Amino acid sequence: MNKSLDIIHDEHRALAAMLGGMNALVAGIEAGRLKPDFDLLADMIRYIDEVPEVVHHPKEDQYLFAKLRLRSADALPYIEQLEVEHVQGEARIALLRSALEAYRKAGEAGFAGFKMALATFLEQEWRHMNTEENHIFPLARKHLTDEDWAEIDAAFLANGNPWEGPAGEYAALFSKIVNTAPAPVGLGN
Amino acid sequence: MSNMLLEAKELHTYYGASHILHGIDFNIRQGEGIALMGRNGMGKSTLIKSMLGIVRPKHGRILVRGDDFTKAPTYRTAQRGIAYVPEGRGIFPNLSVRENLQMSARCGIDGQRNWTFDRVMETFPRLGERINNGGWQLSGGEQQMLTIGRALMTNPDLLILDEATEGLAPLIAMEIWRIVKEIRKTGIATVIVDKNHGAVTSICDRAMILVKGEVVFSGSSDEVRANPELIQKHLGV
Repeated sequence: MNKSLDIIHDEHRALAAMLGGMNALVAGIEAGRLKPDFDLLADMIRYIDEVPEVVHHPKEDQYLFAKLRLRSADALPYIEQLEVEHVQGEARIALLRSALEAYRKAGEAGFAGFKMALATFLEQEWRHMNTEENHIFPLARKHLTDEDWAEIDAAFLANGNPWEGPAGEYAALFSKIVNTAPAPVGLGN
Repeated sequence: MSNMLLEAKELHTYYGASHILHGIDFNIRQGEGIALMGRNGMGKSTLIKSMLGIVRPKHGRILVRGDDFTKAPTYRTAQRGIAYVPEGRGIFPNLSVRENLQMSARCGIDGQRNWTFDRVMETFPRLGERINNGGWQLSGGEQQMLTIGRALMTNPDLLILDEATEGLAPLIAMEIWRIVKEIRKTGIATVIVDKNHGAVTSICDRAMILVKGEVVFSGSSDEVRANPELIQKHLGV
């Protein structure tokens, strides 16, 4: 039971690892331990853009939130807030991407802007995931019926292993990032 | 014919006067995955070491493929298709990546050679880039991959991973879990000792939780994941 929550939780772990990795890279650059690898940072942004937008948020909106909306009035304010954040996701990631491009063009002078954009993005993402894990999950466990779960789980499982991407492209992107990111964040040099 | 690979019956293990394992029963069949969980110091690694003959239990029995291995040396257990990825990795620092892998190459107990040097390279492309580096030159994540690759080179039926992602950055840990998931799909039975319940229960079908050397939960991974109170009580920090 609750396979769908397991899948969401697993995707959160992957996203959290990626966000934490970006944060660690930026901290390393700031401390002078690392040189900026703009292509790597762009790949990381691509990951945290595409995986949530393509495979993660649509499932939450279409299945989990849709059912929970019918079963729990307590969940409504959280759902409405999360749905707004899902809609705003594209704009938020665009800001982060443009901050990276500005950093790439300006060099060291662009670092502070990118760092601030990343910090803002991370804060929003942590809050978003925490709202889901700490408020939506418990309410869903409490209020959704067995029939609801069967329907939601079936829809989630029908996607196969969405975290890997339809043709394994997200798993490949994840591996590429891990192999490129310098130690100790990743396995690269 | 039984497909039981490894069993422990009523294991009691001591470190000196300290009673660590209190009558533990454990079993794993071919193709199964078991998540062995618990907070630090609860006896997870001691259970593994007891079953492999690295630590001798004072009471109880250990069966490997149905045969009594209670007093068998560790190498005999390894020869029966059980591979161990120890906590702390245990690579040979003065050997190259290639040598670390080649020294453990052998066919499985039924003569299978599913895991070749090339296949390990495909599974861990990063090791291919480091093939001539010494073990001491590898990062923690690379060492962990080498240790898993070395275990696979023995073509095991059972792979035991003890704290495989301990001390590794989350990105590397996620990558290792992804690879372990792929290894599981090949049908190798797996015991995974880890504190990350989210990761291990997504890989394994069964789960066992130890508290102070006793089994407080044994059931499906689904049951664990559906029970946040159980997780909080026994695994929460």
